[in-house]
Amino acid sequence: MTKNSSTGATQIDPRGPRFGATIINVLSVVIFFFATDKATEGTGAILFGIAAVLFAIGAIFGNTKHPFGWLYRTLVRPRLAPPKELEDSRPPQFAQGVGLFVSLIGLAVYALAVPYGLAAAAAALFLASFLQAYVGYCLGCQIYLGLKRIRVIRSA
Amino acid sequence: MSVELRLILIASLVLLAGLIGAIWKFTTGRARKISSGEQVDLIELGAVKDGRPVTALTTKVTFLQFSSDYCVFCGPTARMFGELEKADSNVTHLEVNITNRLDLANKYNVLQTPTTLVLDRRGFVKSRIGGAPKQQTVIDQIGTFDI
Repeated sequence: MTKNSSTGATQIDPRGPRFGATIINVLSVVIFFFATDKATEGTGAILFGIAAVLFAIGAIFGNTKHPFGWLYRTLVRPRLAPPKELEDSRPPQFAQGVGLFVSLIGLAVYALAVPYGLAAAAAALFLASFLQAYVGYCLGCQIYLGLKRIRVIRSA
Repeated sequence: MSVELRLILIASLVLLAGLIGAIWKFTTGRARKISSGEQVDLIELGAVKDGRPVTALTTKVTFLQFSSDYCVFCGPTARMFGELEKADSNVTHLEVNITNRLDLANKYNVLQTPTTLVLDRRGFVKSRIGGAPKQQTVIDQIGTFDI
């Protein structure tokens, strides 16, 4: 982790957030599987709650303070070559915020007993984490400005 | 819901995600010809180059890159343009961070970053590239100008 001299933004290994997204991707499949059956929907909701807490940590404190970030640095990174390029820490932090938002929506529709609401939220989480983990898609690049333009996000 | 049906749904989700990923990979960074004849207002744009405000375009081709704070590919894209600029005296690269310039985002209808406008010497928009372009795409763009 270093500071970018021109923007002052923290620079991180881009493979860290993708590693985290891979775990979330697997977790979202498990949640989806549980959420699509009445008998196990409650277990799915608990797992979704755990995901929400993890997203909150990432969104508030950044990916480097995230448990998956720590896992990546201690278990994965020592086995890999150094990163070819570092990236700005803000886009993945924004993605964590989006993940938190989706989790809260999922838990809210579950609380309101919307049929398959939790499953739908798990599906959304699956799509976003899949694209980040395996395709390198950057959610912030695609939607941040759009959300700001339709005034979902206020100026910082 | 039966286990079989749930597994089929999960398989469909994987296919859908793969399809979206493939479409995104295929469409991102492509150049689209613009013939609306829109001219960039440099005063309004407020671009800064080497510490000085840009008031005139001095090369045959200018790549005007719109970036934001929440953008993974903006830095690498800017570096690629910077290298081309160094290698080719007909090329200028301008980068404007529009995180807090919604007026520009609205005017040029920027939805994603990076978005690059390819300008001629008079500031007319000739093409537009949404997403991070491949170097070959940019070289092809330079080739469309009569240099």
